[in-house]
Amino acid sequence: MKHLEKLFAELAVQKLQNQTRRHFLMDCVSKVGGLALAPLLFGCEPEQLMKSSSGLNLSERDLNPLAPLPPPFVGKAKSIIYLHMAGAPSQLELFDFKPELAKYHNQDCPESLLEGRKFAFIRGVPKMLGPQAKFAQHGKSGAWVSDYLPHFAKVADEVAFLKAVHTDQFNHGPAQLFMQTGSPRLGRPSLGSWVTYGLGTENQNLPGFVVLTSGGKTPDAGKSVWGSGFLPSVYQGVQCRSKGDPVLYLEDPTGMSRDLKKNVISAINQVNQEDFETFGDPEILARINQYEMAYRMQIEVPEVMNINDEPAHIHELYGTKPGEESFANNCLLARKLVEKGVRVVQLYDWGWDTHGTDHDGSIDMGLRNKCREIDRPMSALLLDLKQRGLLEETLVVWGGEFGRTPMQENREGKVQGFMGRDHHVDAFTMWMAGGGVKKGASYGITDDFGFSGVDERVSVHDLHATILQLMGFNHEKFTYDFQGRPFRLTDVHGELIHAVLA
Amino acid sequence: MLEFLGPLLGRMHPLLVHLPIGILVFGILLCFFPQKKKNPLLPSIRLAFLLGGIAALSAGISGFLQYQFEGFAWEDVRIHLFGGILTTLGSFGVFFHLKSLKKIQLKSKIFVLGLALVLIITGHLGGNLTHGESYFTEVLPQELQSFLGIEIQPEKGPELAEESWEEAVFYSEVVQPILNQNCKSCHNPRNKKGELDLSSMKALLAGGEDGLILTAGDAEHSELFARLILPKEDEKHMPPSGKPQPSKEEIALIESWIKSGAKDNQTLAGAGIPRKLIERFIAKNEKPFYPITDFPAISTDSLAELKSFGFFAEAVESGSGLLKVTCINFPDFQNSDWDKLAPFKNRIAYLDLSGTKISSEIINSIVELPNLTVLKLNETAISGSNLGALTALAHLKLLYMNNTTFTLREIQMLAKSQSLKKVFAFDTPAAKEWTVSEGLTFPFQLEVGNFQLPKLPTDTIVY
Repeated sequence: MKHLEKLFAELAVQKLQNQTRRHFLMDCVSKVGGLALAPLLFGCEPEQLMKSSSGLNLSERDLNPLAPLPPPFVGKAKSIIYLHMAGAPSQLELFDFKPELAKYHNQDCPESLLEGRKFAFIRGVPKMLGPQAKFAQHGKSGAWVSDYLPHFAKVADEVAFLKAVHTDQFNHGPAQLFMQTGSPRLGRPSLGSWVTYGLGTENQNLPGFVVLTSGGKTPDAGKSVWGSGFLPSVYQGVQCRSKGDPVLYLEDPTGMSRDLKKNVISAINQVNQEDFETFGDPEILARINQYEMAYRMQIEVPEVMNINDEPAHIHELYGTKPGEESFANNCLLARKLVEKGVRVVQLYDWGWDTHGTDHDGSIDMGLRNKCREIDRPMSALLLDLKQRGLLEETLVVWGGEFGRTPMQENREGKVQGFMGRDHHVDAFTMWMAGGGVKKGASYGITDDFGFSGVDERVSVHDLHATILQLMGFNHEKFTYDFQGRPFRLTDVHGELIHAVLA
Repeated sequence: MLEFLGPLLGRMHPLLVHLPIGILVFGILLCFFPQKKKNPLLPSIRLAFLLGGIAALSAGISGFLQYQFEGFAWEDVRIHLFGGILTTLGSFGVFFHLKSLKKIQLKSKIFVLGLALVLIITGHLGGNLTHGESYFTEVLPQELQSFLGIEIQPEKGPELAEESWEEAVFYSEVVQPILNQNCKSCHNPRNKKGELDLSSMKALLAGGEDGLILTAGDAEHSELFARLILPKEDEKHMPPSGKPQPSKEEIALIESWIKSGAKDNQTLAGAGIPRKLIERFIAKNEKPFYPITDFPAISTDSLAELKSFGFFAEAVESGSGLLKVTCINFPDFQNSDWDKLAPFKNRIAYLDLSGTKISSEIINSIVELPNLTVLKLNETAISGSNLGALTALAHLKLLYMNNTTFTLREIQMLAKSQSLKKVFAFDTPAAKEWTVSEGLTFPFQLEVGNFQLPKLPTDTIVY
């Protein structure tokens, strides 16, 4: 019964929190009329009206927010692995082959490309920068992949390329937020949170939404890129450490038995419970839930997050070295997590911001090194998912937050010491693979410089709409009521990309 | 000889109904005239209700005849008919009620107000029958309509069949549906913005306030197309910015239609339309992944029961009667636990027993799941001796048996299955045999994995 009271109190608090101007105006319109009608319809007992709205039916979801829910329609995928290359890789060196651009290498950029444009760093008239990679077509689909990604070239038939994705943010933070939450400003739930909210999680001993980072830094936009926004906090991504123990203090300390631990946690939860009863803040419930989850995680996490016991041929496939922080280890972990029923695994790899300001940030050297770090692991991930049959029900998405310019960056109007490209919002390449994605498809055509999409352009909202569709949601109907109006991941935008749906 | 009289009188109903409405409203209004000790209007009022009653009676009779002869459904007219009878009785009632009075009393006023209410409701229902229920609301702006909670049925775009799309008539099956979907809400016979109606061929040819909109063969000079490709900021761009815009295929189709002569009977093949343009309108007769059943949605109690044993159990989609069951948090599941699943055997469509303690005999139970579509037996001690029994499952599409002891010979026993699409046997003896005995073919796709990415010189070059 305590649970019930707790939930009623929570409901009351949430109602009050969510009351806004919109509600007030709506009430003004609807309830004044209702006031006049009430005696007619219900006699002189307005309580009847009250009763009918408070007849609460508590579902399993109210008690366990991560309880699984069926998708609105049969989804092609049940899990997502999203590989986000933070900093934005150059599409012109990886997938978007522009031989014409090579001819203009080192020539002044035509005025027509610069008119009315703003760039993050380019000032004045920059020089064009030809592609620095060698391209070839691969597989049955004839996909263009450069020699920067020799392993990936062999699995190119498994993926569908989106070659004319565009965004409207040219700085990393806002663009990452836009790519992950559908809005360049803070406050919206991330894609992973939406999916976890909509489907819950299958394995009750693991979080529904796990985040792993590599490249030495977390994304510029901070943890909001996997935040839950206005959704309850339990749906936010759980970041695991990429080096050492994935989750700290999972092992019981010596002398501390599991029963004793249980007593400790229930005592803490008791205190939190009392706090909740005093203040009525629903976030305290999220805290209580986290403690319970942590206790359950102790059973499963050490096993699932441990890659040491994987056979040698798997380590060889991924190029993993247990113990170090690497994209490869994270890819292998992503496969293990999805295998264990985790709903969303989000990988961030930092270090793709190749402006040409130093060696690491150069298109011809630093970018090659960066590509080598992901080439084998991400190809291995696709193959490993495929051989286990997990690719049938897992969606893999790869991309940065924007693309890079066909021009050499000229920070402060100066010539750079290295070859580099500025941020570019008009056209860049992403790819998807797995559950429900058409293998070997390529959608989107860019102009001869790879500057703008000329046909089959895809917006960030279109991408989100398509991802939700594959997970079993109609993006126009998947909403959450906040501040008096229903919110969608795609807000009022988004069209399905039919060309990449199998 | 005189059978026509009934239908004719019936058709008088829409005419006759106006008499009682007019007369009674007049009478009702007179009741509220200021009065002194004696009401001099009383005889007139009584006369009004008498005449009104008679008029209502004749309207009622003609209405009944119309109902009899014109094929109205009883459910539709019922309340209207009772309302008519009530109005008639009410009118005579007021007439007799006023007989003994010298002036209008409060209860008389209440009486006539009640009558007025019945009259309005009856009249309104009658109007709904002849003019349709949305007669008033459909002229309102769409925003106001949705504010009032009226669901606007979205117009359907073109829908073509895979086999016969080439034979579809370009105008009526493609162009008009596109116009209906994108333009009709503002350009229809009732709501002609710019004097333009785009709901029929005849109206298209008539044009709008700026003249003709269609020049057969010349899309650039046809406003019907030219307005669509103006920049969105342009005031003349159609549909106006903020409204849903037609897709580029739809615009291209309108262009092709005009270029091909804007005929109303040409087929898509006749106009030489490539499949690419029409692709997204061709209905994919994709078969659903899971079998179609008529099981009602599973009750939350049953789900809770399954979950209490430790299973993950959920409907395959919202409202479906089919179940997905996994043992992801139930690694101790063994053959003897099958009883817990047995009550749901007709409903289980997805079963994951990976990593559990099952043994080979469980196959005999599994074959009793008629709707099973996905079966996972990864990392179990099942041996393959009676694997062939699984061919009895008519809907089984995906079979997972990674990390088991199945051999290629055992997997061959599945060859008779009519439904199997893919079998996953990574990390099994079968996978090892497969590499040496290539040439074996199966009616399904056998995935044994063992993928490697051979080392490349570039793997070690650091730039």
